[in-house]
Amino acid sequence: MFNKRLTAKAVPLTVVLGSAILISSSAFARSNLYADFPITLKDYSGSATTSVSYKGQMARHALESSLKKLISKGDMSAMQSYYSGDDANRAIIAPATKGDFVIKQSTIGELSNKNLSGKTYKGLIPGWPGNMTGPEVAAFMFEKAANVDGGYDAAHAMDYTQLVSKFLMGAVTYNQAVDNYLDEKLEADNKPNNKPYKDGAAYTGKEHVWDEAFGYFGAPAHTLTISAQDVYNIAKQKDIAAADYNYDGKVDLSNEMAFGHAYYASSYDKGGKTTYLHDIVGAYMDGRDLITSVNGRALSDSERDELKGYAQTIKTNWEKVIAESVFKYAGSTYKDMMKIEAIIESGGDVSKEWRTYSKHWGELKGFALALQVAGKDMGETSVKLNRLIGFSPLLLGNTQVTGIDSNGEYVQSDAETWGGYMVHMLKVQNLMVDEFGVVARSNDMTAGLSELVQSLGAKSSAEND
Amino acid sequence: MTDFFANFLNPEKRLFIGYLISAAFIALIWLRIAQKKPLTEIVSGFFSTNVWFSKSALADYKLMVLNQFFIKLLAPILIGQLALTIFIFENMHLLFSRPSASIPVWMVMLIFTLVLFILDDFSRYLLHRLMHRIPLLWRFHKAHHSATNLTPLTVLRTHPIEAVLFSLRAIIVHSLCLGVCFFFFAESVSLIEIFGSSMFVVIFHSLGSNLRHSHVNLSYWSWLEKILVSPAQHQLHHSINPKHYDCNFGAVLAIWDSIGGSCIVSEKNQDIKFGLKDQSDNAHKLKNLIIGS
Repeated sequence: MFNKRLTAKAVPLTVVLGSAILISSSAFARSNLYADFPITLKDYSGSATTSVSYKGQMARHALESSLKKLISKGDMSAMQSYYSGDDANRAIIAPATKGDFVIKQSTIGELSNKNLSGKTYKGLIPGWPGNMTGPEVAAFMFEKAANVDGGYDAAHAMDYTQLVSKFLMGAVTYNQAVDNYLDEKLEADNKPNNKPYKDGAAYTGKEHVWDEAFGYFGAPAHTLTISAQDVYNIAKQKDIAAADYNYDGKVDLSNEMAFGHAYYASSYDKGGKTTYLHDIVGAYMDGRDLITSVNGRALSDSERDELKGYAQTIKTNWEKVIAESVFKYAGSTYKDMMKIEAIIESGGDVSKEWRTYSKHWGELKGFALALQVAGKDMGETSVKLNRLIGFSPLLLGNTQVTGIDSNGEYVQSDAETWGGYMVHMLKVQNLMVDEFGVVARSNDMTAGLSELVQSLGAKSSAEND
Repeated sequence: MTDFFANFLNPEKRLFIGYLISAAFIALIWLRIAQKKPLTEIVSGFFSTNVWFSKSALADYKLMVLNQFFIKLLAPILIGQLALTIFIFENMHLLFSRPSASIPVWMVMLIFTLVLFILDDFSRYLLHRLMHRIPLLWRFHKAHHSATNLTPLTVLRTHPIEAVLFSLRAIIVHSLCLGVCFFFFAESVSLIEIFGSSMFVVIFHSLGSNLRHSHVNLSYWSWLEKILVSPAQHQLHHSINPKHYDCNFGAVLAIWDSIGGSCIVSEKNQDIKFGLKDQSDNAHKLKNLIIGS
């Protein structure tokens, strides 16, 4: 049982507080642990004690994190093994034990033997040249990464470590959650709640649909008991106390670790302006409580409508988290361009800044691609975003990658001026504000200007001379 | 009504009570020491009902009140200011490289405050000149020039359309200054302020700007009047005498008039009649001020 903290620490307290808790809690109170939900399935005769199960999703997070490390090594067969292989003994390269932050599992098989290729969005990736599907973009990036040192192509300012990792965060985890589990799988005839998800399972159709969607977000099961800062520290492997909810001295990747978008949500929320992480996990919890409360019968239409409401909260906030990342890295890219321009004007060496510029652009591009794989038509927003960012950063000589030739080589053409591309980054930030209403706005390049206009701008006056 | 009283309580406004007091003090010294007028005559002049309740002054008050409501309609234009500022800031990228090296904040403040002041003053001069020279604009501006008595409140005797034009001018100037300076100096941009207003604005108003619209003919040395507009020079601008037509358009600096050939220095003890040639008392009726006679 996951909830050992209660028995280990709180037993004496329960004597004192038990009655108070019983009185104050209502039947509709939100659970605060995404764990230990009971088995509600009728006629279940197996040995499981809980209906919660999402280890496969956590295995995919571990695969993504490990793959990120492998890209910089340029080993094509290793990349393919983690992306599409089936070896249960693949080592979890990241997150690995770091000091007292001990990771419980060391192989993918200890979580669940999965891969990423089967769950990558198979629609068109419009922001990448070559009219490719998600798996094709991933394969293309692996090949390019394997052909350059450390997964970094300085000539085209492409950082494949960042590109692959951020792209797959969208094309696998985000897409699976919002375009599959929180979408068609919430319909009445798809994975109904009065039947097992699959033969012999301890969970109903809807219980498992919801659990898988939760797993893809990447939040620790005890997120609602800790702060955004704690979750951030867990992802950074800095705070074993915050992570180790069951006090076994180890961090269990299946339910105590923070991954992927949950980590990014925590990074914005810790600034205090947003509450994406807790809003998303809260909606997951409300949905799971609702499913549990019907005790193994099929959900009524109104119950499914309520569930879809929670799903919408999750989708909207999750999309904003990705838009915040696009906003942040557009700002980073802009700053890098300022530095590079100054160094070039003074005749210095830009290789270090060029590396950073490539990294930040890779994150920007990866998140921009991720934003567009939710399986919905973003219309003009998508077109604007892809045109503003382009297929590569602006390269020295004011050229940009504009396509791929028949040999899979990048084609470059004349593009914007340096300043013009910096304006594109500002416009990307504006677009994220206008279309997604981002609030945290890290690296906001015009925030100071808005404040100045407010305080020093012209006021209306009828004064003559 | 709060907007109305803000005219007297906000140090950004020329009619701020502190500036009115300082103007009265300067007038007192000027009239007593330079013009050696008896104190009783000076004080009774300040409070003369012939001035404050003249048809001209009453017309000032009517327009003041009307403009309070009209100004409210300008709110949407002010919202456009941020968009214009960002547009200018973005376009700067296409003309210059954005510097990342920082210069001292005090220097940025000095540059910004000075640039804003100079650009603001020049644009006032330019628009004012156009209000006189372009016949269509003069039809609006003559509401201001139909004043036959000048009091500090005459500053608000403005046709509503002119209020719109001056507000647009302010928005363009502020947006330009902020957009350009933010491009070069980023967050360091700020104004050197006294009582929450630009240093230059406060100095200008504290030194008797309210006497421009008054019968106190405070003048400067001739050489100084080619650099700074004295109250007496602005009174010449309001003169009914054709030889003074279209002179002294400047607000603070007379340099623009000097360059533009429209600077006329004041005469010692000048006694000017204000208003428009051949105007009747009907000119002070609100209807005529708004739609012309």
